[in-house]
Amino acid sequence: MIIDHLEEPLPGSSLRPTPAGSAYTDPAIFAAEQADIFEQLWNCVLRADSISTAGDWKKVTVGREELIIVRTRRAGIRAFYNVCQHRGMRVCTGDEGRARKLQCGYHAWTYALEGELVAAPNLTAMPDVDRREYGLKPVHLREWLGYVWVCLAAQPPDFDTEVLGEVRTRFGEVESIDNYGIEHLLLGETKTYDVAANWKLIIENFMECYHCATIHPELTEVIPEFADGLASQRKNGEVHGSSFGEDIQGFTVDGSAGVAALPAIAPDQDRKYYAITVKPQVFINTVPDHVIVHRMFPVSQSRTIVVCDWLFLPEVIHQSLPIEKSVELFHRVNQQDFEACELTQPSMSSAAYAGGGALVPSEHHIEEFHTWWRERLRGESRVAA
Amino acid sequence: MVMLVRWAVTSTDMSLKVCSIDDLRPGEGLRIDSINPPIAVFLTEDGEVYAIDDTCTHQDASLSAGWVEDCRVECPLHESTFSLVTGQVDQPPAKKGVRTHQVHVSGGAVYVELSTAAPNLPPGVIVA
Repeated sequence: MIIDHLEEPLPGSSLRPTPAGSAYTDPAIFAAEQADIFEQLWNCVLRADSISTAGDWKKVTVGREELIIVRTRRAGIRAFYNVCQHRGMRVCTGDEGRARKLQCGYHAWTYALEGELVAAPNLTAMPDVDRREYGLKPVHLREWLGYVWVCLAAQPPDFDTEVLGEVRTRFGEVESIDNYGIEHLLLGETKTYDVAANWKLIIENFMECYHCATIHPELTEVIPEFADGLASQRKNGEVHGSSFGEDIQGFTVDGSAGVAALPAIAPDQDRKYYAITVKPQVFINTVPDHVIVHRMFPVSQSRTIVVCDWLFLPEVIHQSLPIEKSVELFHRVNQQDFEACELTQPSMSSAAYAGGGALVPSEHHIEEFHTWWRERLRGESRVAA
Repeated sequence: MVMLVRWAVTSTDMSLKVCSIDDLRPGEGLRIDSINPPIAVFLTEDGEVYAIDDTCTHQDASLSAGWVEDCRVECPLHESTFSLVTGQVDQPPAKKGVRTHQVHVSGGAVYVELSTAAPNLPPGVIVA
């Protein structure tokens, strides 16, 4: 059963309900989310420059599927299910490598980097075997913002409208995300957080700033307006540029100057912080001199891996300019957020939270996420939310 | 399927036209299975054309599907590599080299003069 939500709060009602606690603990709901959300939509899986040479491959998990992402010799980057089409053994073992071919270790069925079956013991005596039909099963792939995005759906949502269009629309034409030239930035730092919390708690946390003044002292020092509880993400998906404090020189842990600003940002984007959620698993934060990208990989109903990248101009990376204070600010924000999420997760199965919690007005836009989430879970009877 | 045409290149050599130079891609091999046992023709990144027996001497696998680097091809199944110039093998599991065949490129066509030596074929593979 789905609880119908009122479009507008009752007079005098500041609080709106969240999903029930079980939405964050029920393995059946998590399985439905994997099937109907993560295995249907575009997922941002890795940086394209992390597999820079032909033959470089990495393994990633999307939903319940293990994938190989490989840079081919002539066809750019490709993604395949890590499943041998002969008898099903994992083709790639380990997390990453560099290979001239993708070869199953069981019977040596051997696939080109481009996926087709090129060799197997006695294959030449089986001329009727179709090399493509028995090649590795491909997965839809796009590159955007310097990242590899994949979609497991047979008919993926249109990337240009569903992902690209939505992000561009939310940022607005003047404050275009394109101004940051994210695809030309290089990785300055990456950190991986193993968070003992449901992925939705992390999204909800990222969408609001009601918690900022309490758990993010450094962030609120840099962006004093966060003390009003309003986040960069607002109602109807609108993105608000949150201003730096008067004495603040840069988006750093102590408010000191950062590095050179990205050259093409609009005047409105100077001294401001923007944040956006690209559902279902990406957060993009932009500040004048760097961009922070989070990718989430839900592991179970109570565990989520979050990878956070800090991206800077190539000259900043090549000249080894100091980025530590920039990185430290959002690293602390991450640690503070994920600690809060981990202290929230155990309560999701408490009798005291069985009916869910409440959203204050500055959190009401999180309902848009909850509505989206309910609509995505096609088998609504599965979800007792 | 590449058509096999007998072609006299000189008055003394009898060569076979096996493919067009345009059929070849740099760094890759082409299996010619109209010849028995099949041969593999390779165009290196440097633009040289070589022909060797296509079948690995260890197990039935097509060397044309192997990775070409530094004038050697690595069998796609295991780790042995064969010289495109001499046919010699560098390491197990293959123990014997493959035959090499003389190549002439003329007028955009690739001609091969087959070795008259006995091929080193793996277990289970016989010359029809």
